[in-house]
Amino acid sequence: MAEELVIQGSALGKQFGENVIAVEDANFTIPRGSFISLVGPSGCGKSTLLRLISGLIEKSGGDLLVRNAEVVGPRSDIGMMFQKAVLLDWRTSIENVLLPDEIRGTIDTDAKKRAWDHLQLVGLKDFEFSFPRQLSGGMQQRVALARLLQTGADIMLLDEPFGALDEFTRERLNDELLRIVEGPDITTIFVTHNIQEAIYLADQVFVMTPRPGRIAAQIEIDLPTPRNIDMTTTPEFNNYVQQVRDVLAGHLDGQPL
Amino acid sequence: MSDIGSDGVLAGVKELSPIQKLAMHGLVFLIIFGGWEVGARLGYVNELILPAPTSIAYRLYEMFFVTGSIYWHYIITMYEATMGFIIGVSIGMGLAITAAISPVFRRYWAPYAVVFNVTPGIAVTPFIIAWFGFGWSSKIALAALVCFFPPFINTLTGLLHIDKDATELFRSLGSTKKQFFWKCQIPSALPIIIAGLKLAMTGALIGTIVAQFFSASEGVGILMQRFAFRLNMDGSFAALIVMSLMGLSLFTLMEYMDYKVLYWRRHSRMEEVGSKRKRKWFAENGDFSA
Ligand SMILES: Nc1ncnc2c1ncn2[C@@H]1O[C@H](COP(=O)(O)OP(=O)(O)OP(=O)(O)O)[C@@H](O)[C@H]1O
Ligand SMILES: [Mg+2]
Repeated sequence: MAEELVIQGSALGKQFGENVIAVEDANFTIPRGSFISLVGPSGCGKSTLLRLISGLIEKSGGDLLVRNAEVVGPRSDIGMMFQKAVLLDWRTSIENVLLPDEIRGTIDTDAKKRAWDHLQLVGLKDFEFSFPRQLSGGMQQRVALARLLQTGADIMLLDEPFGALDEFTRERLNDELLRIVEGPDITTIFVTHNIQEAIYLADQVFVMTPRPGRIAAQIEIDLPTPRNIDMTTTPEFNNYVQQVRDVLAGHLDGQPL
Repeated sequence: MSDIGSDGVLAGVKELSPIQKLAMHGLVFLIIFGGWEVGARLGYVNELILPAPTSIAYRLYEMFFVTGSIYWHYIITMYEATMGFIIGVSIGMGLAITAAISPVFRRYWAPYAVVFNVTPGIAVTPFIIAWFGFGWSSKIALAALVCFFPPFINTLTGLLHIDKDATELFRSLGSTKKQFFWKCQIPSALPIIIAGLKLAMTGALIGTIVAQFFSASEGVGILMQRFAFRLNMDGSFAALIVMSLMGLSLFTLMEYMDYKVLYWRRHSRMEEVGSKRKRKWFAENGDFSA
């Protein structure tokens, strides 16, 4: 069973400078293939936790294991996606998707074929040779998703990936994301401000609270999969929403916001 | 330049048909130059202060088509300005890249470039002449000196102001510094670098001409001065117009480079380049969907 735990944190902490404790005493285990939502108010340390796991920043204390190895820097089995698409404006969609291969020096016909297929998978048929500025915000995020898939990473860290998009586009992209990452292979951590979205997507919701940033609760979401939008009106779903709210409220009571 | 009109400075001007526009331009031209010509001919304007447009035009005609005396001066001046530009830009960009790569250099050496810049470059002309002599080299040196700063500061700014998320993306992909430099920093900085080159181009021309004013045996600057000393105002103005022509041709060259290089900033160019890359891709890889 130990093999099935991809990411493990114990007493994990990150402090910036003297005063800012962005993450404190985080304890969690994330099983392979699961979808974790990380929800909490602004500034509670969600991005920091994600960047710790990705190896972009160093922890200040505790332990953090990915596949039973201490995280020491960026690794090729971990891929990231941000709120902004972060595309290179001078490259077409397909050239942007091929960036990971270019950097690793693994560009060949096979890589090109995969890049092509990933663009089809995220619904960008006929936009392979468009430049980012010719695409809508939603389409740009689709290119970013295709690039993430292209890295071949099976641990995906998504920091409010659709947070800047309108609600319709966001719901569609959430569903497409679920379809893409479902199955036992891909482990996903998805950061969001939106409680409903967090529950709808996840197998498990980590609720974070600020000052200092802590994981205040880890809630298993026992809803049937695949999810569909009708579930969001069921009593069970609302129950979960209430649970998350209670955790946040319990912590925030009497706290200056 | 005409695209300024559609939504920029001239917003609010009623859209005219192309023929009406042409007529409008012609009318404005006629009012300015016709008025000037009439003023000069009727003696309201002293020919020694402002010669009539037709006198200036005749001078130009003479220089270019009768004696052909202007070409050598033109070529020399363009050569000096261009060489100065190339040298100044190389030094400026070289320093900027070094400063962008090395924080130590940036902190302890780059401030001198700023001090250097706030010292008016033109004021060192006498030293430059003393060091480099009366020939071409002093013109080139002054041109280089006057034009090195904009490429320096713009390149440095462009290379350092990279989106934080882009930096993290590259790091998470395991990019080396060199890959990041070539695949992200340089292309991101290109628009502001090219803006710096445009400023440098104008600076190089100014530097060259000022150095020619000081001392030279050839060049449009000295030509103009000779006319002026002889109170030949038509000739002086003709030389001035030749300088404008030079400026304009260099400016057009830079605009062309901007148009070619920064294709991702214009919609028509993106379509053009996109379909070119598409054809290339299909030629190399075939259709993966087939
Ligand atoms: N590089 C840094 N240096 C100093 N402080 C930082 C740094 N990065 C984050 N912080 C601080 O750490 C805390 C947590 O920040 P973080 O970005 O992780 O929050 P977040 O939950 O992602 O917020 P948001 O929802 O607004 O994105 C904040 O107080 C922030 O100001
Ligand atoms: Mg964040």
